[in-house]
Amino acid sequence: MNTTTVAAAPVLHAGQTIRRADRRLGVIMLAPALLYITLLVAVPFLLALFLSLTNSSAGSLQFSFVGLQNFQNVVASPVFRRSLRNTFVFTFVSQLAVMVLGNILARALMRPFFGKTVARFVILMPWAAPISLATLGWLWIFDSTFSVINWLLKVVGWLGPGQWYYWLGDPTLGMVAIITIHVWRMLPFSTVILLAGLTAIPNEVREASAIDGAGTLARIFQVEIPMMRPILTVAVLFGVVFTFTDMSVVYLLTRGGPFNSTHVLASLAFQDGVLGGDVGRGAAVAIFLVPVLLVLAILMLRSSRRAEVV
Amino acid sequence: MQTRRQFMVQGTKLVAIGAAATATGPTIFVRNAKADTTLKILQWSHFVPAYDKWFDPWAKEWGAKRGVNVTVDHVGFADVVPRATAEVAAQSGHDVHMFLGLASAFEEHVIDLADVVANLEKKYGKQVELAHRSTYNPFTKKQFALSDMWVPDPGNYHKEIWSKIGMENGPSTYDDLVKAAPEIKKVAPQMQIPIGIGLSQDIDSNMAVRNILWCHGGSIQDKDGNVVLNSPETLRALEYTKKLFSVGMTQAVLSWNAASNNQAFNAQETAYILNSISAYRTAQDNKLPVIPNYFFTPALKGPTGIQLASEHVMSGYVVWKFSKSQEAAKEFLVALVDASRDSMLGSKLYNFPSFYGAAAEPNTPANRKQESGAAWIAAQCNKDPFGSTPPDKLGLLAKSLPWSTNLGYPGFANPAEGEIFDTYVLTDMFAKAATGALSPKDAMAEASTRARQIFDKWRQKKMVPGGGKDK
Repeated sequence: MNTTTVAAAPVLHAGQTIRRADRRLGVIMLAPALLYITLLVAVPFLLALFLSLTNSSAGSLQFSFVGLQNFQNVVASPVFRRSLRNTFVFTFVSQLAVMVLGNILARALMRPFFGKTVARFVILMPWAAPISLATLGWLWIFDSTFSVINWLLKVVGWLGPGQWYYWLGDPTLGMVAIITIHVWRMLPFSTVILLAGLTAIPNEVREASAIDGAGTLARIFQVEIPMMRPILTVAVLFGVVFTFTDMSVVYLLTRGGPFNSTHVLASLAFQDGVLGGDVGRGAAVAIFLVPVLLVLAILMLRSSRRAEVV
Repeated sequence: MQTRRQFMVQGTKLVAIGAAATATGPTIFVRNAKADTTLKILQWSHFVPAYDKWFDPWAKEWGAKRGVNVTVDHVGFADVVPRATAEVAAQSGHDVHMFLGLASAFEEHVIDLADVVANLEKKYGKQVELAHRSTYNPFTKKQFALSDMWVPDPGNYHKEIWSKIGMENGPSTYDDLVKAAPEIKKVAPQMQIPIGIGLSQDIDSNMAVRNILWCHGGSIQDKDGNVVLNSPETLRALEYTKKLFSVGMTQAVLSWNAASNNQAFNAQETAYILNSISAYRTAQDNKLPVIPNYFFTPALKGPTGIQLASEHVMSGYVVWKFSKSQEAAKEFLVALVDASRDSMLGSKLYNFPSFYGAAAEPNTPANRKQESGAAWIAAQCNKDPFGSTPPDKLGLLAKSLPWSTNLGYPGFANPAEGEIFDTYVLTDMFAKAATGALSPKDAMAEASTRARQIFDKWRQKKMVPGGGKDK
């Protein structure tokens, strides 16, 4: 018995040393990611939560607790309620358009045609272009006085004398313009993902469905889309999260106008918290993004696991 | 075997050590490394680009003479405040930060420049009242900023069009705009927007709606800092704007940015705008066809007889408390005021000195400097060195001081006024009333509620007076 114990001891010690080294290596390897998440996600989030309960302002480090006052003021504000509605409209409509148009484009790009490489390059351009520069271009296209769209519509006779679309001067047209630019911007990302999903479907499956008598629509809706569902879900969820938290198009195009009617939550939080200097109120507005994003994040993680994307 | 909890605890410790090292590292290793040998200045990108071409080399030359390495960074006017917010949060950045309009929200983080202003006033006489009211907080008794320049905000009118309707010298009252708009439509049907006063979320609209409000007898606050927006005078201003919008404006003005009214006027798509001379200088530089018809009017009178316009731009230089070059910064600001003549010429008469005495003839006795400076300014305006035809086209600007005032009129500028300005509470109110999105009364009630919330918040911080007589 004793001999066995003495003989086994050095073997156990070596195993423990290796495991300890492994653990240390694991901690070191994980530390950068943990540091990143802690400093750039957890700390700002907790800080925002904390600041939303104070009367903190941009130019001051002094503040006092005001309880839920910021939330009460924000909820009572018509501008906030409009922004909340706009955020959902902006997200839902733009994602719907992106998915439909992305599908059409991806299917077109799967077919052989002359200049396909150039077409792919052109389609990817909006994704690569800096949004600030791109929006400046769109600003000219939608300009209320000099809109190139309006001049075109005048030439083709769509707009008669005295008729004019004030793209950025009308709340509804303003939202149309914002959504248009965002769709233009997101389309390449969605197209590439969907193209990857479509090319992953084996040709035998398509051939089998054709032999079984499936038409084009039946093949798309009953074969291809169900097979692409995991990747479609990932594309939609990523797009929704990106859109829900985006403020760049709104800020660059309309600055929330006319009369604060085209704000989304992120741009309103920026206007109140950074431009206006009311950090507490800005944080309270931004906090309203959290419940939706939390649900989306859970859905995203689940679907990612199913799709084995991450 | 290590549990998940133990693993996370170990990881968290490592993260905490890393974070602490990141935070304290700079303070341990680089504190005071280059104190007072460098001066970093944050400037806006001037609306008249010629000014930046004058300022940057001038600042560097000033530094070279004093052994100070001067760096000038320019940002767009819309980024001045966000940049300040970021630098305050980081407690590092530039030494001198130029604000346009209101720096008062950052009062806590800037040094008191009372000694600088006192010395300059001893040297040049009093600064203009609107500069004083934009850079001094009487409630905290702090000179939080220094203004070297302000910019008049006249009306710009298309002479040919206004002559055709029998008003050769342009409008002189707000009522003239309402009367003229239908006539302009008749004589210039190609013009999209007869009267181009912005009601948008931009700096020019912010100034324009204040002008309308003040000239109708209303204001956001009274002279003691009480919120008085909810008043019959405000209602009258809103009803006026609604009428003007219906007869002479289009929805385009709801979407304008700072450049839009310039572009519309220079393209002859509107016959009247409120703007500084930057649009005119652009038209000159580009030799646009509008130039022979580009003329100016003083601020318009309201039905009350009040004739007021907000300054178009007002510099407010601050020196951050975290700056390690505070003395150099103060010296720089004095030098900038000393160079008021060059600054005005460098900006093609866009900048007007906040210390008129700084533009005086050399060797003028101290008690005559303001008078001498005013005469020099008038001489420039009456004979524009940058090629106006007729040469005295800008002559009215020399007399613009009596009808120009500060944000916050009839009180001092303060952080609450600044927040109302930056979150477009007033333009929102005017636009909603003008378009019928809300009735004038409801638009006023909504804006007034928000204004009171903002003032209350700043009063809690003891930076804004009043409150006892809020309406």
